[in-house]
Amino acid sequence: MSFAWTSKLALAAGLAILPATAWAQSVNISYLTHWSPETVALLEAAAKDYAKTNPDVSVTVRAVPFGDLLTTLRSQGGGSDGPTIGGIYDLWLPELARDKLVAPAPDAVASEVKASWPAGITSAASVGGTLYGIPNEIDVYALNYNKALFKQAGIAAPPKTWDEFKDAAKKLTNKEAGQQGFGMINSWAAGVVHPFASLLVSNGGELVKDGKPALDSPQATQTFQLYEDLIKSGASVPAMATADANTTGPFLDNFVSGKTGMIIMANWWESALKTGMGSKFADIATAPIPVGPSGDKPHSISYSWMTVVNANAGAAEQKAAWDFLAWLNNPKSGKNGASAMSDILMSMGILPSRLSDIDAHKDKLGSEFLSGYVSVLTDAKPFPVVPGGQEFSESLQQTIEALQYGQVSAKDAQATAQADATAILERAAK
Amino acid sequence: MIQRYRASAGIMLAPAVTLIGIFILLPMLLTVWLSFQDWSTQTPFSSASFIGLDNCREIFGASSVGRDFKVALINTAIYTALSVILILPLSVAFGLMVYQHDVAGGTALRTVLFSTYMVPMIAVALVWSKLYSPSEGPLNQMLGLIGIGPQPFLSSPRSALISIVFLNVWQQVGYFTVLAIAGLTQIPGSLYEAAKLDGANRFEQFRFITLPLMRRTLLFSAVIAIINAVQVFEPVALITQGGPVGSTNVLTYHIRRVGIERAQGGLGSAMAVMLMLSLIVVVCALFALANRKDRE
Amino acid sequence: MSGGSSSRLSRKRPSGRKALLATLMLLVAVASAFPLVWMVLSSLKTPAESMQVPPVWIPHTPSLDAYEKVSGVVNVGRSMWNSLVIASVTTAGILITSMMAGYAFAKYHFPAKSLLFSVLIATMFLPPIVTLIPLYRLVGSIGLNASLAGIIVPNLANAFGIFLMRQFIAGVPDDLIDAARMDGASELLILFKIVAPSVAPAIAALALFAFVYHWNSYLWPLTVLQGNADAYPIVISLSRLLSYNRGAVNTGLVMAGATLAVLPPLILFVLLQRFFVDSIVGSAIKG
Repeated sequence: MSFAWTSKLALAAGLAILPATAWAQSVNISYLTHWSPETVALLEAAAKDYAKTNPDVSVTVRAVPFGDLLTTLRSQGGGSDGPTIGGIYDLWLPELARDKLVAPAPDAVASEVKASWPAGITSAASVGGTLYGIPNEIDVYALNYNKALFKQAGIAAPPKTWDEFKDAAKKLTNKEAGQQGFGMINSWAAGVVHPFASLLVSNGGELVKDGKPALDSPQATQTFQLYEDLIKSGASVPAMATADANTTGPFLDNFVSGKTGMIIMANWWESALKTGMGSKFADIATAPIPVGPSGDKPHSISYSWMTVVNANAGAAEQKAAWDFLAWLNNPKSGKNGASAMSDILMSMGILPSRLSDIDAHKDKLGSEFLSGYVSVLTDAKPFPVVPGGQEFSESLQQTIEALQYGQVSAKDAQATAQADATAILERAAK
Repeated sequence: MIQRYRASAGIMLAPAVTLIGIFILLPMLLTVWLSFQDWSTQTPFSSASFIGLDNCREIFGASSVGRDFKVALINTAIYTALSVILILPLSVAFGLMVYQHDVAGGTALRTVLFSTYMVPMIAVALVWSKLYSPSEGPLNQMLGLIGIGPQPFLSSPRSALISIVFLNVWQQVGYFTVLAIAGLTQIPGSLYEAAKLDGANRFEQFRFITLPLMRRTLLFSAVIAIINAVQVFEPVALITQGGPVGSTNVLTYHIRRVGIERAQGGLGSAMAVMLMLSLIVVVCALFALANRKDRE
Repeated sequence: MSGGSSSRLSRKRPSGRKALLATLMLLVAVASAFPLVWMVLSSLKTPAESMQVPPVWIPHTPSLDAYEKVSGVVNVGRSMWNSLVIASVTTAGILITSMMAGYAFAKYHFPAKSLLFSVLIATMFLPPIVTLIPLYRLVGSIGLNASLAGIIVPNLANAFGIFLMRQFIAGVPDDLIDAARMDGASELLILFKIVAPSVAPAIAALALFAFVYHWNSYLWPLTVLQGNADAYPIVISLSRLLSYNRGAVNTGLVMAGATLAVLPPLILFVLLQRFFVDSIVGSAIKG
């Protein structure tokens, strides 16, 4: 070996031995989301913003199509190569927490969330009293109706009680013209269960009470009966209610084309309505859910999304993740006192849930369409976040669809729904 | 001589057998093992605990799990039977149409038929759910022209599964036609010439030359058609999500829902093993039938 | 049963039958093509037109907006390139491994041949969704996750291909092979130079099937790539356009993207046409 060679070798060896901490440690975290490419671009821009003040953290976005998000979450298998941050639907939280795949929020984060978010939403993001993430999106249901059709049928105001509701549905039904008074939805779990649940809670009922299903209550009897009446009278036509690829299908097309008088749907379909109706979108208005005979005031069903942190990621990664999330949801990260997260959500027409964000965006949220939703937020009841909640929702969907298609009577539907729900929640609680 | 061929057999088989052994057989055996375990899909395999035949008992039991599984099994069986009954004869008929020389356009027809198989499933789903629109969708409009009333198609539990069958037949018939054509090309033309000289008409040529000599291809197509049909997933996942009222809930979709989305990995694996066993029974029966016919 | 009486009828029948055949072929072609035409027309519609009841057949002012926009939202070129790499490499692997194994099963005798073949066929019986997670963990443990290699390697051999090749190679006459052996040719040479040309239609068919299947393959690539959108094949990139509440708005973009995505497999199909020749080739070899 020549001298030149040996000295190079020595130099290389010396460099290799130098401790790595002499340079800045770079932490890589990943964020798993179901958002479409346009929205992901906004998230990546926010991450770049964050990198300006935190150059040692790099955030990569992992994007999967919405229909495959749950599959992706479940496939990760608690490995450390899973995403550091995940945007999840709160209904998925109990199983993730049970299997110790998500980390409880650090105290600083938990106290900020409890102070800045409504109590109901914070509880939906918690399991057994422990907060597991930061809520972001909230979705709530309201009665959408077509003012032009109302005028045609001579109905002055949106129905406030179930009697007015049934009456309006009958007046708006015109079989020859292919028009139905009230549009139900089928072939999509959320579309079937949530509107039904909204009517149930506006009738003073509950889906789950103290961890046990409450579908055998007299309030639930009335709700199942309401559905049966609407179907039997022809005011709701199940064939017009089908959903495909989740957010599109005949149920949407019929409302957009003025074939459906009223429908209970969530706030986020505003962009679909605007796109489909163009100038006719001005005919659409929203109102609170009609109140049933056993109810006191209108209530809506709400559900929310949140971000969680992978409990199996490294300690440095977890800390970086919580720091990034805290920044993302902080009023300083966006424009005019809104958080960057809320700016991203509003770009999709989705409601943020942080109280300061709702305030910061009140101009856009004051539009005729959205204000109907914002007004029902305070009295909204979160869809129960319990172990087995997903399965509970799907089994209730089956029963309600059977009722829609006249395969079972309201009484039998209620009995089946309660029996199945009890079995499912019991098994899941084990 | 035999030694040499044994070594050659080893070399010929090694790449395929190794790859399939590692990447398909191994996961399959793992799935069979998991069917006897209580395991949450999102956890490592090490956290599985043995529960014997409990999963099997549950999927055949009376709870909602058992009910849904039975419905899925029946739906899959109906879907498979209908698909195969429609696809096989159509593929032979279309294959003959493409292959003949009397009328021009066989090549163009083949291209059109096969192009239906090339379209990404997401587009197929969107297009067909539009075509199947109840009340005034395009298909209903065309049916109206010939005097048939509007059909609910995907919007009724009674017609949703059949509608998916038609969709599947539309998508796959071109694929099976290409297979049939490949089979037709293996039949020497001299046989047809000899038969024509003997005075056989077209129908007799078909019955006594074409069909028997296509037996191998037809058996192959039948097996593949059955396997494809049993494994149908994307049309259901993208269009009906198993509905309405579970009428299009097929086994693979149900397995994804239970085994992956609800994280009930043991149950999902047990269902998968049942699926595999039923397929084995059906395909073995098919082979037995074919072998018996061969001997006749 | 030739005879005078039938020849009079047969002078009329050919043209009548030809007309019937032509009509049938046209009907089949139209029925097959109709949804495809709908797809292309939908790519030219505005999103509002896609939601009308009754539906709009022909867009009022057809526009290529969707084609422009789709490239702005997803990287169409990059996604199609990913699909091309995945599909081509996998197809090449499948062709080679299937021909080799199919030849062995068709022409060799060795112990446990039937058993091995049955086990291989049985591997087709489990739907991919079932083995998704075990396979994902397995591939991860080899370190192939998040790469195109992770998508390709598990699919390089395929029981379907072996089955197909075996069925068709079994029909190749043994004397052909024996003659080549007596000339001193190696087995691999016999396989690729003598057997392959006589089953060319089956090989072309397998190449086509494998390419199209893996071009459109969705679930496995999605799982392996762990959300790395840059590596997504075109079918996944298109699905992302429908995410959450974008379904109604982005339908036209998906149609446009799908129309583009059909082109490469279609080109391959056209290129492989000449292999689907009739049996003149087959009988010439037989002699």
